[in-house]
Amino acid sequence: MFKKILIANRGEIAIRVIRTCRRLGIGTVAVFSEIDARSLHVREADEAVLLGPAPSSESYLVKEKIVQAALDHGCEAIHPGYGFLSENAPFAHAVVQAGLAFIGPSAKVIAALGDKISAKDLAIRAGVPVVPGYHKPLTSLKQLERVADEVGYPVLLKPAAGGGGRGMRIVAAQDELGPALKSAQDETRKGFGDDRMFLERYITTPRHIEIQIIADQHGEVISLGERECSIQRRYQKVIEEAPSLAVNRELRRRMGAMACALAREAGYANAGTVEFILDERGDFFFMEMNTRLQVEHPVTELVTSLDLVELQLQVAAGEPLPITQDDVVIKGWSMEARICAEDPSRNFLPSTGLITRYAPLRGEHVRLDSGIESGSLVSVYYDSLLSKVISWGETREDARRTLVHALNRYRVEGVTTNLDFVNAILNHPAFIDGRLSTGFIEEYFQKDALLEQPRERMEAMAIAATMVYHNRQNLVRESLKPMAARVGPSHKPEPWHRYVVKGDEHVFEVQLLGSPASPHWSFTVNGTDYDVISPVFEFYRRRLKLKINDQYQYFRLEYQGNFIWVAFSGFTCVFEIYTPREWALARFMPRREEGVQDKHLISPLPGMVVDILVKEGERVFRGQDLVLIESMKMECGVSSPCDGTVEAVQASPGKAVETGDVLITFKS
Amino acid sequence: MAQQPGQNNLAELQAMKETALLGGGTKRIEAQHGKGKLTARERAELLLDEGSFEEFDLLMTGRADPDMGLQEVPGDGVITGHGTIDGREVFVFSQDFTVMGGALGDAHSEKICKVMDHAVRVGAPIIGLNDSGGARIQEGVESLAAYGEVFARNVLASGVVPQISCIMGPCAGGAVYSPAMTDFTFMVEKTSNMFVTGPNVVKTVTHQDITAEDLGGARVHSSKSGVAHFMLPNDILCLREVRRLINYLPSNNQQQTPILDLRDPAERVDPALDYLVPDNPNQSYDMKILIRSILDGAEFLEVQPHFAQNIIVGFGRLGGQTIGLIANQPAVLAGVLDIQASEKAARFVRFCDAFNIPLVCLEDVPGFMPGPVQEHGGIIRHGAKLLYAFVEATVPRITVIIRKAYGGAYVVMNSKHIRCDINFAWPTAEIAVLGPKGAAEIIYRREIKEASDPAAYLSQKAEEYRRRYANPFMAAKRGFIDDVISPRDTRHRLIRSLQFLEGKQVEQPRRKHGNIPL
Repeated sequence: MFKKILIANRGEIAIRVIRTCRRLGIGTVAVFSEIDARSLHVREADEAVLLGPAPSSESYLVKEKIVQAALDHGCEAIHPGYGFLSENAPFAHAVVQAGLAFIGPSAKVIAALGDKISAKDLAIRAGVPVVPGYHKPLTSLKQLERVADEVGYPVLLKPAAGGGGRGMRIVAAQDELGPALKSAQDETRKGFGDDRMFLERYITTPRHIEIQIIADQHGEVISLGERECSIQRRYQKVIEEAPSLAVNRELRRRMGAMACALAREAGYANAGTVEFILDERGDFFFMEMNTRLQVEHPVTELVTSLDLVELQLQVAAGEPLPITQDDVVIKGWSMEARICAEDPSRNFLPSTGLITRYAPLRGEHVRLDSGIESGSLVSVYYDSLLSKVISWGETREDARRTLVHALNRYRVEGVTTNLDFVNAILNHPAFIDGRLSTGFIEEYFQKDALLEQPRERMEAMAIAATMVYHNRQNLVRESLKPMAARVGPSHKPEPWHRYVVKGDEHVFEVQLLGSPASPHWSFTVNGTDYDVISPVFEFYRRRLKLKINDQYQYFRLEYQGNFIWVAFSGFTCVFEIYTPREWALARFMPRREEGVQDKHLISPLPGMVVDILVKEGERVFRGQDLVLIESMKMECGVSSPCDGTVEAVQASPGKAVETGDVLITFKS
Repeated sequence: MAQQPGQNNLAELQAMKETALLGGGTKRIEAQHGKGKLTARERAELLLDEGSFEEFDLLMTGRADPDMGLQEVPGDGVITGHGTIDGREVFVFSQDFTVMGGALGDAHSEKICKVMDHAVRVGAPIIGLNDSGGARIQEGVESLAAYGEVFARNVLASGVVPQISCIMGPCAGGAVYSPAMTDFTFMVEKTSNMFVTGPNVVKTVTHQDITAEDLGGARVHSSKSGVAHFMLPNDILCLREVRRLINYLPSNNQQQTPILDLRDPAERVDPALDYLVPDNPNQSYDMKILIRSILDGAEFLEVQPHFAQNIIVGFGRLGGQTIGLIANQPAVLAGVLDIQASEKAARFVRFCDAFNIPLVCLEDVPGFMPGPVQEHGGIIRHGAKLLYAFVEATVPRITVIIRKAYGGAYVVMNSKHIRCDINFAWPTAEIAVLGPKGAAEIIYRREIKEASDPAAYLSQKAEEYRRRYANPFMAAKRGFIDDVISPRDTRHRLIRSLQFLEGKQVEQPRRKHGNIPL
């Protein structure tokens, strides 16, 4: 085994690799860019080497510097993690040339599998099914009919020219092929002057299933079961799980055998993943093979009790696999949520900044692979993945619940994350039922699709908000007692406290019975009774743990002026809490109008325009920085006053502007 | 029917009160509600703890002059009295727009003056809810005299008890000067406005067309003129916000500030603060991250949040005690001090000093704003207000220098030299006469001109200057800085200092009053 390795990566995966190394007594050398100097992975490693400035092209992607750093620090091998240089054949080659071990497959294999065409050829040679179709362009209906019969309906007509879905047609049966072909060809002829068509099987409600394999340098290949990664947004995986509801023992065996066959055919050594697309009928087709450790590898680890990084290190060191296929047992279920610095309300734009508060997770059957801590800087230079929350349970539902609970109490402040979005998916009835497909998010999470919020969940949130509000009010009154007049009758408070709680369009009549002296509270919400046990209130915390009807629930909440924002199980809501007499008058209050659309972005200060961050026609969101202005020797961003589309950019870099100058005009 | 003794008056009283309680009648109440406004009585009751409102002068009436359409109405268009806010007494007057448009006449004013006199005598805050068309024209000079009585009391109560004004409807003409002299002015969005002369007069005199909202609405006064300190979307939230503010304040200038224990540990450290200040000196950061981090429960009641945003002022608590916080905001105009920022902070400092509220200053200031607009606008005398206010303040005073503390602005921002008690600095502090680049340009003017590569020479000399002077250690050597602290420990260090400063007493020389450069 190696004595010391270099990890050519950053963030959570670097820390993940370091963890295994530490357990095995292997020394670690981290690499970092200037902006990452204070990052967690730098501190976690035994040694760390500065590569260069922040852009990856000048740091994490500079092969020579990384190899040299490994040599300078006496490393024997390099672990590439994922992303960056992990599937870069020249890098793998350079590492080996330098006399070091590359923890991954050989450069030749990376190159062969990295090329779509040669990978497909390899798959066909290994007997792995690929999506049936005819991959030479055709024009005549007759030819297409014949091919479609071979491929099997439904089929997809894909124009040879163009793109963006233009001219694509899904054809369900033979008699529809003629008309579909004609209209598709009309469209592409007009658009691109080309009417040639490809044809392939159309996969309805496809699922993304991948097989984890590990191979040693002695020709031994085993599969470690499947992962389902169907929940994706724009081809980015969001939630992964192992095993998959769509895969039974027989299918698992067949898919595993195919994945191993491909690996053998390719001469593969180390950990790899074969990605398949699985259709409703249970037919599966090869998509590609990833020649690295995947982001979602922990779900496999939790159901197999294996450490994939340890296995990677062993086979890279030339050792034979310590286990056989028969030793691989899938136990229970595991799910992973990827937490990214992106803002779902702004079309998932990346968010950057300082992590101002961070509460890491602990808990039974919960694993957190995190690259951040309080004070971490999330920059524009790298991937937005902050951490992964992984759960395990006996059943899928156990694992799901554990993950939901974990996310309910996980807190990342300072940058906006997709945490509540991911949690909303986990709580969606279709997800709970396992009705997954790669179109899941498009189908169920369209921008304007309003989710019907289950009554009980909303009531739990209303209880949390009222509890905090009520106790805060009590605290104020108690604290001010010494300053109140001493003359007067003792105040006998009413046993029941009544509030009207408004959240979104819901109104709850909340009554509560209890006193801050005891943790036991009785709640009635719109006539439903709840027993609630509360902790001692510490109002600086943004996390509340309540036991509601014998079930522990975690809420994240925050005072927003007079309102209380609550996040719970993927739902977020701002609650307005009124006393009955306030509520009686609240109906007279004017409804808040939506902010008047500002048509211009105005310079708030005199200075010089440094950079324009958007282009004409680009969709922008309220609060997003659009223009960078230098003033008082400082750069500051001017943010959009509205959601809208940029019509014209009046400002130009290098030009001086005065307060009140129009920088950008929006379409109204 | 034979009347029993005593019953007669009771029945009559009942009838009179019922009439009085209806104010201008159900029709006008409906109209008031239709505008999204609450009635004067609803407001007074909502402001106070449930059932605590005790009314004065319900039956008082003003002069009648039927020829001029002036009738006697019980209460005379204003509701006055006292009640409690979270158990503490306050005095309140609430103008009733449904009675003669809430116009102010002799009796109306007398009622207001009565509660103000009570408030000063017993040392309790006075809260005015304004909703009035202005002077009662039919009363002539008497209504002007009536305003004068109120103004005089505003001034005499200033610095004795907190005075708060809520503008919840029109407030025009001379009427604006009562709120203007109180400590804090709240405005309700869309339903309130304030101006010395209204749109009609503006049209006649200057031929400008402008709406009441654009001339003196809540938005204008909160962001442009700085007349309003708080802007709330509706009456209910406005009254709640007043309660929230009152909870930070002592009832009068003899009391210490209330203590509210949010169970936020004094020794709580925040490691994120070690990384708050960016490595690049030209990059800004949001001072509010620091403010939220150090205050109890991250609760901060910002005063004038939309006005002169390059300086942040407001109330928070440290270790339970109310503090007045003044912080430069590097994210807006680099945190520079200009005319508006100086005035905003100066007034806030004086309020805190008057009511025994310790001052905490978080400093990152590149200097005073240069340019003819500022110079011709009188930045010299306006900046002097802030300097004067700080020097004068005798409450416990602490400053933490976060990054820049340059030139005169360093002295002005609560420095040791102007009677600040404790000065801390973060290791990132740069305390000097001016920025390294500017300093090098002056010191090495000739050398730079003669250098083969002037830019490189300049940056080299600037770096030398930075290392030698632009750091906290030079000031620490001289004792101008009491300690250079770890950013993460800021909260703890502030609370410990406030603890020992609790007993601070300063002897003041006898004088009538100083002469602040107004």
